[in-house]
Amino acid sequence: MALIVDGPLTELTERTALVERSARLRALDRGGKVGASVRFEGIVRRNEPDHDRAGEMRDLTALEYQTYDPMAERELTALANEIANRHQLISLIALHSRGRVEVGQISFVLTAAGTHRAETLAAIDEFISRLKRDIPIWKTLIWEPRFSLH
Amino acid sequence: MNNPITIHVLLFGNARIHAQSDRVTLTLPAPATARSVLAELAIQLPQFASTSTSARLAVNQAFASDETPVHQGDEVALISLVGGG
Repeated sequence: MALIVDGPLTELTERTALVERSARLRALDRGGKVGASVRFEGIVRRNEPDHDRAGEMRDLTALEYQTYDPMAERELTALANEIANRHQLISLIALHSRGRVEVGQISFVLTAAGTHRAETLAAIDEFISRLKRDIPIWKTLIWEPRFSLH
Repeated sequence: MNNPITIHVLLFGNARIHAQSDRVTLTLPAPATARSVLAELAIQLPQFASTSTSARLAVNQAFASDETPVHQGDEVALISLVGGG
């Protein structure tokens, strides 16, 4: 399953915490089939290349995520189902932010549970590659001001 | 000859910033398809809708193939240079 929520994915985001906890419990309640559980967090990095300035590295304040609703969440869910089936996972859940997420905050969480390590890790990697190519979510980089007036 | 149709294409991300608008309006000969909409967009927004890029259209909230028909009043969106995560 997949969910898009407003703002950063902190533990204080009650809805995402409940969804993750419920998915994890469902996965574990499978008679000892789970042999690997992986949680990936995408975190907003401070330093990024500015392609409008020949790739010069600059500091960010935040990222602003824009989603095409409701298609983005539907496509995210379809992708989670497709990859979970192909890698025969027991559980795959994706959570993604909409709106502003500050540097150091979490914008994306992917939790996978499978029988073995190899397919669980492969599923995480494939999901992220497809997310960046196929899901109608865009991010705008909010730069730190280059100069400040005193 | 069929009357031309008017299509509003929703823009996101850098395409929206570049166009300084959340949509562009196209006038196309009918019948239109996703391919003919993309070809017209490639003229108006070449950085984002060139056929050589990964630009795609969504028609009524679903990814369209080249042959997907596009009618006046359909919700059309340019899905170009996405980058979640």
